[in-house]
Amino acid sequence: MKRLLNVALVIACAAAPAAAQDKTGLVWNDRPSIVFGEDVSVDLKGRVLMEWRTFDPAIGEDTFHLRTARVGLAGELTRHFEWEIEREIGEVEQEDGTDQIAFGEWKDVAIKWKTFDKVRVIGGRFKMPFGLEQTTGVTELDFAYRALGSTAIAPGRDRGVMVFGDLGRVGYEAGLFDDDGDNGESNEPQFVSEGQDLEGVGPSIAVRVTGDLLRVVPGIGRLRSANLGIAYTNSKIPEGLNSLRGESFWGTEDFFERVYVKGRRQRLGAQFEWTPGPASLKAEWLQSREQRKEQSNRDADLSDYLGTAWYVAGTWFVTGEDKDDNVNPRRPLLKGGPGAIELAIRYERLGFESASKAGTAFTNPRSEFLTPNSDTVFTAGVNWMTSRWTRVILNAIHEDFEDPARSTIAGTTSFWSGLVRLNVVF
Amino acid sequence: MARTLLVVIAALGLSGSAAAQTSDDFFNPEVVQRIELWLNSSDWAKLKAAFQENTYYPADVTWNGITVRNVGIRSRGLGSRSSTKPGLRVDFDRYSNGQQFLGLKSFVLDNLTQDPTGVKETVAMRFFSRLGIPAPRETHTRLFINGEYAGLYGLVESVDKTMMGRVFGAIGDNVQNDGYLFEYNYVLGSPWRFGYEGAALAPYKARFDIKTNETHAESTIWGPIEELVRLVNNTPSSSFEAAIGPRLDLGAFVRYIAAQNFIAQNDGFNGYDGMNNFYLYRLEGSASHVFIAWDEDNAFLQPDYSITTRNDDNVLSRKTLELPAYQAQYFGFLSEAAGSASDWLLQEMQRQLDMINEAMLSDLLKPYSNADHTAARQSLLAFPQARITFVRCEVAKQTGAPPPSGCQ
Repeated sequence: MKRLLNVALVIACAAAPAAAQDKTGLVWNDRPSIVFGEDVSVDLKGRVLMEWRTFDPAIGEDTFHLRTARVGLAGELTRHFEWEIEREIGEVEQEDGTDQIAFGEWKDVAIKWKTFDKVRVIGGRFKMPFGLEQTTGVTELDFAYRALGSTAIAPGRDRGVMVFGDLGRVGYEAGLFDDDGDNGESNEPQFVSEGQDLEGVGPSIAVRVTGDLLRVVPGIGRLRSANLGIAYTNSKIPEGLNSLRGESFWGTEDFFERVYVKGRRQRLGAQFEWTPGPASLKAEWLQSREQRKEQSNRDADLSDYLGTAWYVAGTWFVTGEDKDDNVNPRRPLLKGGPGAIELAIRYERLGFESASKAGTAFTNPRSEFLTPNSDTVFTAGVNWMTSRWTRVILNAIHEDFEDPARSTIAGTTSFWSGLVRLNVVF
Repeated sequence: MARTLLVVIAALGLSGSAAAQTSDDFFNPEVVQRIELWLNSSDWAKLKAAFQENTYYPADVTWNGITVRNVGIRSRGLGSRSSTKPGLRVDFDRYSNGQQFLGLKSFVLDNLTQDPTGVKETVAMRFFSRLGIPAPRETHTRLFINGEYAGLYGLVESVDKTMMGRVFGAIGDNVQNDGYLFEYNYVLGSPWRFGYEGAALAPYKARFDIKTNETHAESTIWGPIEELVRLVNNTPSSSFEAAIGPRLDLGAFVRYIAAQNFIAQNDGFNGYDGMNNFYLYRLEGSASHVFIAWDEDNAFLQPDYSITTRNDDNVLSRKTLELPAYQAQYFGFLSEAAGSASDWLLQEMQRQLDMINEAMLSDLLKPYSNADHTAARQSLLAFPQARITFVRCEVAKQTGAPPPSGCQ
């Protein structure tokens, strides 16, 4: 028995990484951390995102908004596992009508097996592999808010299991999920006759393949380092007003309300990311396709319901930081420097329509030909990273709706808004 | 031109022939119409299960060979709401701006659940029209939902801009339909009899649902109503007509309450639990208001219904009828109503009852039996002659005129 333990110890030591941790106990590695030994640690994570907003014309929203407050724990459990739990903190309305600060929604709650680069497994609640921007953390975004398509079409978090890994220049992710992500939950309390069972959205599958595929293309210079990806999801959707929908940029109103669906929901996505030096260029195209079986006024099948979104975004660090790295200001504000200053612009569109364009268009959620509507948004911004933990974001946003009758502000199809955001992240 | 017309019809989602059909044909009181609604079977089940909600569902509607696609329907009513035989509102422009049918934006399917005769509402509205009181056009229809008979319904013109244009006509080239139209909202447990409720607009906003020009400022919409109520309550008789006359057509108001009294409507302007069942219209470009009749299916309560029932309970009717000229008008209108009814009301009741008989008897979803209907029918037919005599005798008593023959 003792001999067997010695053999196991030798194998374990051989498997340990060459660079051992320098310290144990409570340490500061960009955030508070308790290190128990080699590859066993617990990090305390937190983030607070506050913003001050202006709207022209007013839309009834408060000027100050606590966008996000979260706390979490993350760590390593030997070199084979990583884990993370994170939960929202916010004002929760009490029974007496008053608001009280309390824990809210769980965010990431997952454990990852990472022994091999080529095959890793993550299980729990985490983001489904669809959408470049949606799978980028909220504090890593180039803008205060994600593009419309990243929240309306990309599924977001869900419970599930996913296999992923790097195969040379190609990365892959493939998962099986309980529902269809937080952004794709069913809306309508399902109507069932006596004896029928309730149905939910899902289960769903999601697959994404990414890689610097342009390396094989000759004569394109620095563009060879660009990363490309395609993604696909497929899930079951129960009958009802359960489709995806078009919310305005601030989420106050729908410019395209849910329609009746039944069958399967599929998404297809393509992403592009290029970060040459201090600049970046990102683009995505996302499309959802939802079946409407037996959903006409006479119980016949309707044409598929389509949501299409795209954006193109560019950024440039005027202070010269390399976008490809984990960006830290070269000369932080507290050390007498200007911090890191980045300019950013994004142009995007999210629209919904039916596959059929035959006959007369109606907004009726059971119409064969749905009257299309879209929201086109231009965002210009400045990001000021005063330190690695703090960032100030200024965004000016112009929103323009296609259908005047379904503009989210009566009497106008386009309007401006703006914000100043303070991110504090550790 | 013909091609343009075809495009217009196609754009409206209509199929079938609309040639020579008008909204008068649709509301033709001489025939029981046949209307078919087609909606997703799960929507129909949901509408019946959630009949207390105003959720809209898409549907196709067919009448006389004409189909209008993608209209919106919802459950409607107050006490008449039903899960087995829902009252319905049909909106043509719910899902397509500007879609109309025979010039109508909507209509109402009255489920007739509160009236075992099935004709009180339609008879009352035709009678009001004879007396020159603004009232919706109505007839009856057999309603079919997804091909199955759903019962006999009242087919009722919506009180909306279209009807205002029809009733009030044009001022020069401008159709009189862009005023402020309100539906009176009966607040359960809070009977109101035109008492002043303070300068704040909220109480008036709660009682008067705005149906046109909804986006205008609250002070523009409800300010004149607050002013009208305040002046009615605070103005002495000596200056009442001068103060109220420009803000309310007092002659039309007196005619309206006299007509409601004649038909023994116990749930109307001077109803048993305060005011109920009417619309109020502030004419376009004017401060003057007019009452519009609505929902008279509690009419014909009893022949000896007092001809001054609750007139003194309501501030507006009391202060108006305190003025001798308007009191005289009131009794004059009652006599006029009796005269108009004498050669018409019984025949009209009989005609309508005969017309709906087969559709009523085969309606298996109505909340009363065929025996109940037969009894109610007999009771209703006994009303006209007894009421005419009673009103004539009572008016004579009130005015000091010689009593006509038959008075006790």
